[in-house]
Amino acid sequence: MSLKRRLMISALGLAVAMPGIAAAEGLIAIITPSHDNPFFKAEAVGAEARAQELGYETVVMVHDDDPNKQSELYNTAIARGAVAIILDNAGADATVAAVQRAKDAGIPSFLIDREIKESGIAVSQIVSNNYQGAQLGAEEFVRLMGETGQYAELLGREADTNAGIRSSGYHDIIDQYPDMEMAAQQTANWSQTEAYTVMETILQAQPDIKGVISGNDTMAMGAWAALEAAGRTDVIVVGFDGSNDVRDSIKAGGIKATVLQPAFRQAQLAVEQADAYLRNGTTGLEEKQLMDCVLINGDNADKLETFALAE
Amino acid sequence: MTPALTALLAGTLALALLPGCKIVPDADPSGDAGAVPLDDDQRMAALAAEIFDDRLPGYVAEHAVEAAPLRALLAQGLDAAGTAHGIRPGSEGSPWNFVLRAEGEVVGADLASRAAHLDLDTDGDGQGDLTLQLGPVIRGTALRDALDFLTFTDFRDQIEYAKLARALNDQAHQRLSLPADDPVGQRLIVEGAMTLPAADAPWVLVPTSLAAP
Repeated sequence: MSLKRRLMISALGLAVAMPGIAAAEGLIAIITPSHDNPFFKAEAVGAEARAQELGYETVVMVHDDDPNKQSELYNTAIARGAVAIILDNAGADATVAAVQRAKDAGIPSFLIDREIKESGIAVSQIVSNNYQGAQLGAEEFVRLMGETGQYAELLGREADTNAGIRSSGYHDIIDQYPDMEMAAQQTANWSQTEAYTVMETILQAQPDIKGVISGNDTMAMGAWAALEAAGRTDVIVVGFDGSNDVRDSIKAGGIKATVLQPAFRQAQLAVEQADAYLRNGTTGLEEKQLMDCVLINGDNADKLETFALAE
Repeated sequence: MTPALTALLAGTLALALLPGCKIVPDADPSGDAGAVPLDDDQRMAALAAEIFDDRLPGYVAEHAVEAAPLRALLAQGLDAAGTAHGIRPGSEGSPWNFVLRAEGEVVGADLASRAAHLDLDTDGDGQGDLTLQLGPVIRGTALRDALDFLTFTDFRDQIEYAKLARALNDQAHQRLSLPADDPVGQRLIVEGAMTLPAADAPWVLVPTSLAAP
């Protein structure tokens, strides 16, 4: 990442020095959470590749889910004269001001994965249909549980709308089954290491749990590691995202299912919409767009690679 | 007795007692709304009720496609049917939604389940080809997504938009009068909304009206 960034910056330096070979279309800034989660890395790689195909320079930056850092990165993008910003944001409320600031500076933002709580500021907000996806995951979870038993839910970071929407999609299905009993519900803030610790605690307090439904795949991986360490590989775990890690776990008989968000395509689509907007002054589409998710289990895990499903 | 049935009975009674009077629904049955701000669920429930009262009948009349022509178009592919009669949001990868009007014979029923449903034979081959979700558990967002005057951008976030889908399903359930006896063998005319992710996907309808022919 840091090497790539240095290369990117030196490429920019070169472009300034030799305008003849500079990309004609301008600079697109791509800002996401930390690439420690492969989901966000896939977004950045997808957006970067598409932008370069379309003739743009790119700069890839990470805000580490820190709104202050995100704000600084926005200042950097504005100062460097970016023509557009592709953003997976650091908070539905906290991001509004940064996106507005860029808009005031004439730089349009195209949001992926996470929404902000205002419309009319970003040009596009393309998000996975988390409600639809969570219902798919919950239906599979209930089926695997035989419609009965104690389970734990791992929640994502509270400031992120996706944590709430997935949980409500899960419960709109699971709560219809009177023999499904939620024994624990705790946040692990999307984090693998936090999920490991939280899972250890839950196992001590609720040794009888039969299943874990997780708001994302990294927490599912953390929970699964804790379950393995405790010799509890009988526990049914279902995640959300469609990462290669969980795919491999499914194929090895570990985690049972996840829900694919088309993250790679979503990031590319945002770049395409940025390009259309820069050329035509409009994307021709509604600002807020939902992309449907796909259930991944043992039947189709083979076709999954880097947040995209082969035909 | 469900609230919907109670309200229906009360309404019928009122109509019977007061011929010639116009019944104006009390927009604020609790009497003290306004004092407490409505939460998401309450606001979306109110919006869903308003949609059912004011917009849905006209919308269904305008957009409904009959089963036989829809089946013929689907034989040419989902996009052929979708382009002719479907509704879908502009985002990539969204499935088509249809407003359907169909007549058929009930060939199967499960009225005991929380996800009660009827199976209708609409092409006369004796096999069920249309599932009517009666609820209270109604799956999916077909009804919301089939209404082209609702756009995600107009809502605060996915949570609010999901609650609207749920509230519309709840309205559909509450406004249906379920058959009291075993309905198998009865003929029904049904209108409602369904999502088709593929041309050969099963037809699973959220009914907005159910009546004997």
